[in-house]
Amino acid sequence: MRKILGIATLFALLTGGHIMAAPANVTMFQLKVEIKDALDAYAAKYSAEHPGVTVSAETLGGGADYGGALKAKLQAGQMPDIFVIEGQGGFNVWKDFAADLSDQPWVKDTALAFKSGGKVYGFPVSIEGYGLAYNADILKKAGIDPASLTTRAAYEKAFKTLDAKKKELGIDAPVAMAASVAGGMWWVAAQHNLAVYWGGGLAADDTSVIDKALKGQLDDARFLQYAKYLQLLYKYADKNILLNGSYDNQVGAFAQGKTAFLHQGNWVDPNMKQLGVTFKMGYAPHAFLDTPEKGLFLFAPSWYIVNAKSPNAAAAKAFLASIAGTPAGQDYMVNQAGMIPAFKSVKLQPKGQLSQALMAANAKGGNYGVFFGMLPDGFGQNVAGPIFDLFAQNPDNISQFVADMKKAVANIPNSK
Amino acid sequence: MHNSSLTKFLFVVPALFAFIMVMVVPFFFGLYYSMTDWNGVSETISFVGLIHFFKVFTEPGFLYSFLITGAFTLINVVLVNVVGFILALVVTSNLRLRNFYRAGFFAPYLVGGIVLGYIWQFLFNNALPTFGKIVGLEALEVSFLSRSDNVIWAMSTVNVWQYAGYIMLIFIAAIQSVPASLMEAAKVDGAGYFRRTFRILIPMMANAFTISLFLTLTTSFKQYDMNLTLTNGGPAARFFDEPVKASQLLAMNIFDTARANQMAEAQAKAVILFVALVIVSLLQVWVSKSKEVEQ
Repeated sequence: MRKILGIATLFALLTGGHIMAAPANVTMFQLKVEIKDALDAYAAKYSAEHPGVTVSAETLGGGADYGGALKAKLQAGQMPDIFVIEGQGGFNVWKDFAADLSDQPWVKDTALAFKSGGKVYGFPVSIEGYGLAYNADILKKAGIDPASLTTRAAYEKAFKTLDAKKKELGIDAPVAMAASVAGGMWWVAAQHNLAVYWGGGLAADDTSVIDKALKGQLDDARFLQYAKYLQLLYKYADKNILLNGSYDNQVGAFAQGKTAFLHQGNWVDPNMKQLGVTFKMGYAPHAFLDTPEKGLFLFAPSWYIVNAKSPNAAAAKAFLASIAGTPAGQDYMVNQAGMIPAFKSVKLQPKGQLSQALMAANAKGGNYGVFFGMLPDGFGQNVAGPIFDLFAQNPDNISQFVADMKKAVANIPNSK
Repeated sequence: MHNSSLTKFLFVVPALFAFIMVMVVPFFFGLYYSMTDWNGVSETISFVGLIHFFKVFTEPGFLYSFLITGAFTLINVVLVNVVGFILALVVTSNLRLRNFYRAGFFAPYLVGGIVLGYIWQFLFNNALPTFGKIVGLEALEVSFLSRSDNVIWAMSTVNVWQYAGYIMLIFIAAIQSVPASLMEAAKVDGAGYFRRTFRILIPMMANAFTISLFLTLTTSFKQYDMNLTLTNGGPAARFFDEPVKASQLLAMNIFDTARANQMAEAQAKAVILFVALVIVSLLQVWVSKSKEVEQ
């Protein structure tokens, strides 16, 4: 009996000791398919340079239900050490797992960390942003100066000119914008375009308009100006793309020179490269007000969260710090993954034209914040999505659109 | 063989274990979660009773999904079975190449809903409008998928195309099991083709109808994959002045609710779907069974 106990103790000691000495195995679970290869390579490189630490990244395929997959991992007892949230809604769900990152070296170097209650919880993955992307060659041929597009009236004039010269310019319509539930493109209209109302023309950290909405109120005068701007985009958008088109239809039309404007962010740069685009492009502001606006919309679309309940939390924090603070990490972010880094000290330049336009706007300042992440989960897809789709079907009925949105916003406080 | 019942039981155990673990246990968990405020992650779960069950019925999107799913089911139960039965009659007649037709009609069922949805989406959004432009038919130039009052028929077309061949197989087996002597006797007695079909064939194969109706009823009620890839719930429509998604069937409504981290509400909706499906299918089986004849 004693012998058996002795063996058991020895065994326990051995395995216990083994666990103590085990290398930190940092697992990461993320959703940006376009950076998968770059991230895997960087993780491998980091692991090779840090004996005792192995970082492995898993990427969920495009458009899949990341939140659902993460919940499944939690239930299976495979909660990753680093995971992704996309805003306040996600944070509310996962806050029990979010480690306090306030003491990390990169915090001072960024304005876009995810904060809650005065503490830093999220590492900004990148900066993304958008305005109304334009094809400089087409605008030049039509005699439109993109720098003049700073008010709604200026846009109306430009769209009219383009519409009148459609044949001459070889375009189908002035604008490529998608707004349909069917095409899965509700997010372009009901999230990114609506963000123009939440933050446009205000200071980058001014959340007063969306704060009001979270209490159920719409700023009527401001919203009417916004609705008129959206109406303008809808009326001059390619109808098939607007009512049925997918992401590929929308981006493809612009890339083939079939439209002069594209309502998408700098994430289309890799698509432009794939499609062999050679024309010059840039960003004009989403100027929906009567008064001039010059800024673009810049935001961190997602943040890395370190799993506070994991024994590998320290190693995970060190890995994130290396991305922000080492030359190899910065090279990965900018040159390998093609992202715009959210850290001021990074001096590298991304290659895509639209990303460069955003970098320039970021350096110049005067840009606007993107706040749709503060809305309750599902507001964009389930509530605003159908309303924007209906307005696209019948852009003349602006009063209906305003009434629908007023009602939807009034319901926000009840939906939590 | 005094332990034969034990042997039988042992044979059943693997399947029974799987059934309990992936069907029975999750079902009761789901029932429990539908009465809590759980978001899928948080460790504090509080019991809220039947609140969600009342709340979801004030949600226009859910009510609409419920109605449109009912309509979709009704259309499909009728069309799939009628088309399947006609196809079965055709390929059991003295047709040349009838085995080729059998395989051909069955093939769509093998494609699978996701792929099928994408194929038909292309047909509706690109092929048909282009064809309409070429021949100058204005009615075809706007995609059927972007007309909120027609989209359910477009979905039903695809569903019938997919399932009719499968139901046809069941009917073929049933038709072949009806004794040929009965049909010949009726023929000799001077009954015409339609009279033979309606008075002898259909009553004799009523049990096949019970199965086919049940299958089409449940698959239409639970439809998700083709719904997702073909229409994604779109376009938007108005329902009692509220914006809703014109083709969002119940399963998709439940999934979208869950995706918005409203796990408990989604679970409550799933329970409602389950109860509705049980009631409707029990009714259907009971009615169909009463029409079956003993052979």
